[in-house]
Amino acid sequence: MILHPTVIANLLASLTVSGMILYSAYYGLQIVRHWDLSSGSELQLTLERRTYLISTILSYVFGLELLSLFLYVFTADSLCPLFVGAMCAAGTLNVNGFGYPALLLKMFDFFLAGLWLILNHADNQAWDYPLIRKKYLLLVVIAPFIVGEMVLQCAYFLKMKANVITSCCGSLFSSERVEGLGSEIAALSPQTMLWMFYVSVAVTIVAGIHFYLRQRGGYLFSALAIITFFVSIVAIISVISLYIYELPTHHCPFCVLQKEYHYVGYLLYLALFGALVSGGGVSALIPFRTIESLRTVIPALVRKLALASVVLYSLFTATVTYRIAVSHLIM
Amino acid sequence: MREWIEKQKYIIDFTLSSLLRRKAKNIGLLALYTLIVFILASVMFFTHAIKKEASLILDQSPEMIVQKLVAGRQDLVPLRFVETVRGIRGVQAVRGRLWGYYFDPRFGANYTLLVPPPTAQTGAAGNGSRRVMVEGEPDRNAEGSAGPLFDLGADEIGVGSVVIGSGVARVREAGTGELMLFRAYDGEILPFRIKKILPSSSQLVSSDLILIDEADFKRLFGIADGLVTDLAVTVRNPTELSTIASKITRRLPDARPIIRDEILRTYDSIFNWRGGMMIVILSSAVLAFVIFAWDKASGLSAGERREIGILKAIGWESSDIILMKFWDGAVVSLTAFLSGVILAYGHVFFTDSVVFEPALKGWSTLYPRFKLIPFVSAEQVTTLFFLTVVPYSVATIVPAWRAATIDPDSAMRYTGE
Amino acid sequence: MIELVNVRKVFNAGRPAEFTALSGVNLSIESNKVTVLIGPSGSGKTTLLSIIGCMSRPTAGRVQLAGREITSLPERFLTDIRRKTFGFIFQQHNLIKGITALENVMLPAYPLGERHVPLKQRAMKLMEDLHLSDKAESKVEWLSGGEAQRVGIVRALINNPSTIIADEPTAHLDTQLSHRFLGIVKRFKEERKTVLITTHDPLVYDDPVIDRIIRLRDGRLEVERR
Repeated sequence: MILHPTVIANLLASLTVSGMILYSAYYGLQIVRHWDLSSGSELQLTLERRTYLISTILSYVFGLELLSLFLYVFTADSLCPLFVGAMCAAGTLNVNGFGYPALLLKMFDFFLAGLWLILNHADNQAWDYPLIRKKYLLLVVIAPFIVGEMVLQCAYFLKMKANVITSCCGSLFSSERVEGLGSEIAALSPQTMLWMFYVSVAVTIVAGIHFYLRQRGGYLFSALAIITFFVSIVAIISVISLYIYELPTHHCPFCVLQKEYHYVGYLLYLALFGALVSGGGVSALIPFRTIESLRTVIPALVRKLALASVVLYSLFTATVTYRIAVSHLIM
Repeated sequence: MREWIEKQKYIIDFTLSSLLRRKAKNIGLLALYTLIVFILASVMFFTHAIKKEASLILDQSPEMIVQKLVAGRQDLVPLRFVETVRGIRGVQAVRGRLWGYYFDPRFGANYTLLVPPPTAQTGAAGNGSRRVMVEGEPDRNAEGSAGPLFDLGADEIGVGSVVIGSGVARVREAGTGELMLFRAYDGEILPFRIKKILPSSSQLVSSDLILIDEADFKRLFGIADGLVTDLAVTVRNPTELSTIASKITRRLPDARPIIRDEILRTYDSIFNWRGGMMIVILSSAVLAFVIFAWDKASGLSAGERREIGILKAIGWESSDIILMKFWDGAVVSLTAFLSGVILAYGHVFFTDSVVFEPALKGWSTLYPRFKLIPFVSAEQVTTLFFLTVVPYSVATIVPAWRAATIDPDSAMRYTGE
Repeated sequence: MIELVNVRKVFNAGRPAEFTALSGVNLSIESNKVTVLIGPSGSGKTTLLSIIGCMSRPTAGRVQLAGREITSLPERFLTDIRRKTFGFIFQQHNLIKGITALENVMLPAYPLGERHVPLKQRAMKLMEDLHLSDKAESKVEWLSGGEAQRVGIVRALINNPSTIIADEPTAHLDTQLSHRFLGIVKRFKEERKTVLITTHDPLVYDDPVIDRIIRLRDGRLEVERR
């Protein structure tokens, strides 16, 4: 293990989040089991009060997941001098088998927490809380993922040994050596990838606007929003990063967060994550639109979510297009 | 959306006025919170800046150093090594260096003695004993090694004179022109005239330094001709460093090549470890603070309890109270965090960490008086945020929720003013 | 119209300290009338008032507000109904110290997120009606008892409720101020608001403005007198 203040902060954050989610899942189970809105018993009143605590905790979990995602990448970045060949976060995350899985799980947990908050928001507007059992069951499902993330992250940091030779982003995401998903992504033809990216964003935005205006094709839009998220991530690695770094071989999704590139990565990733959560939230809500008490709530909410997703994807695409336009790299 | 923003504005406004109304209660918490942030921030800024300093200096030191090992101990390097190393493909230049430590029992201090490179010959590839270049030396600990901060050549020092670092001058209260006595390896006392005192720049290393002429150095330590302390190697392509290092060990089995990056890594580890250790030690303080915050947040005064009861009775909802408590925490945290960070910044970079200089820097009486270059990164601030604000916020969730679920009809049941 | 059917309220159910505050209360309160609730302390008046005013939920039984069943609504929605339907006037005035009278008056509207300018105008208008304009910027601890109560009344009116609930409103007022309060109640009646008052004070329940008196003892209703 490397005793570094930032590592300690990471471990502290993941332990805290796990503790909070376990605590809420425990009370979530009680709610699933004993919830009875028609009762005025003290148990019911207590459970109702708990729901306030759990929503508050989940909002914190969501916020902490997002912040700790960046902290995690920061940490990997600042530890790279300790590892031979690691030049940025990409290399450090590769020093053992837990670095990347923890990162992916972190992103997934952030997505889940976001979906939960969207469900919760919708449910809180219906006088009979129709989603309460589903919502708290989902919480029980989320808990193991967050605990798993904590375990992976602890394993990653505890098993870390300085001076282990690792691949830096130059070789991990470099198109020369073809092994592993990272290099395969990098090996995709930049032009094709750029086309794919623009087409998929355009289709998603059109579907989103269509859904916003006509309220049809919600599932399609939601699916497109999720697919576009992955396409965008692949595009960042395979082509967008090249334009930002102005280097034809540097495929790294993390260096964009650095000061040298005006922290443009934060804007890109925040827009992308926001678009994913709001776009994914649409299909999480549509199945419940026929519930009587949600009949007016859900259509308005999904429209807002779709709009948010479209706006964020547009922001992302506009930023990317701007960076490509001003880039000195010619391909 | 507009309603939502208006609502936040009203609630923030009300929270601020409540905070101001309870100044006495909040000032203690705020002071303690600021102190915690201040201490942690000082530790982090300090270790980070010193690490940065060390790596800046190392950047100027040779890419590779070759030592000789005898029975696992470092020994003087014979000059025949120079030729062998130079014969390896990819090696650009090889230079022998002379440096060492001298312990001064009168002051209990260790000096670093160094033979500076002859200026006239800088840049030319050395070929023998007369071409001794000094570019820095790997130190016993974090104090780092010397960069080319001495533009005085060996000729300028001259036999019988020394140039000393500001730390040496401070400890010995010595001035230019005075004599400094050294005890040679054979017990003979050698006097040297102080020719110059190095300016106390930001460089960590120059403080305990004494620059000395090659002949004097050899006389002082009894080093025979044809031997140097170690070799500084420059290569053409830095990516070949490890290949060249392994070739050196193959041709000279008793040589030990050290790559600069390895030193950098070691320093990084040491400072990370020291910083991490401090955080672990301080974590008990953070824990104590979190318990205090929890206690403070749970122990609502009768007045506050009544106020929340009133708010709920007149139409505020539990989530509005939670929102109020959230803003309350945010205002307190932001104030404490910002003031703690700013105070720590001033403490580390303008007052030279007066508070815990001894704990962090080391133990040498000669430890340099230097100004660190102000350097704060987003990563440090985020870490600090996670170590202080996050525990505080999490600790206050449950108390805030408890306060928010006070029965609204408690306002009606309240009797007596 | 507020209807209570067989309402029970039990505290600490299943524990040794179990206590039944209300047992089987059936009651309907007509709109646009002034109703007075009397009974000794501990008779369940406050509990009944808090159930009617959507501050708490009954353990059993049903409450209907204007034909809508509200018994099984969660707190979030009860609060929403409460702040739009009811205005509360408390015995202890329950003003928040350290802020001005105007701010106290505006407090119930904060969670609704109304724009500041119209809200302030409405608050000033209401304060003017009760002759409090010159006290708007005073801190509440500097107000006299009568003024403090009127600030409390204005606060109850800020969200324009249809029902006013007053808990022992004259307990801390002298005769003159009590009469003045009843004058205000009369105005409420003229404005077609429903008023519900709990009191011990004969001055209140003998006043001609009162339409109906309900007596409560040991958590049950007594036979009605008027």
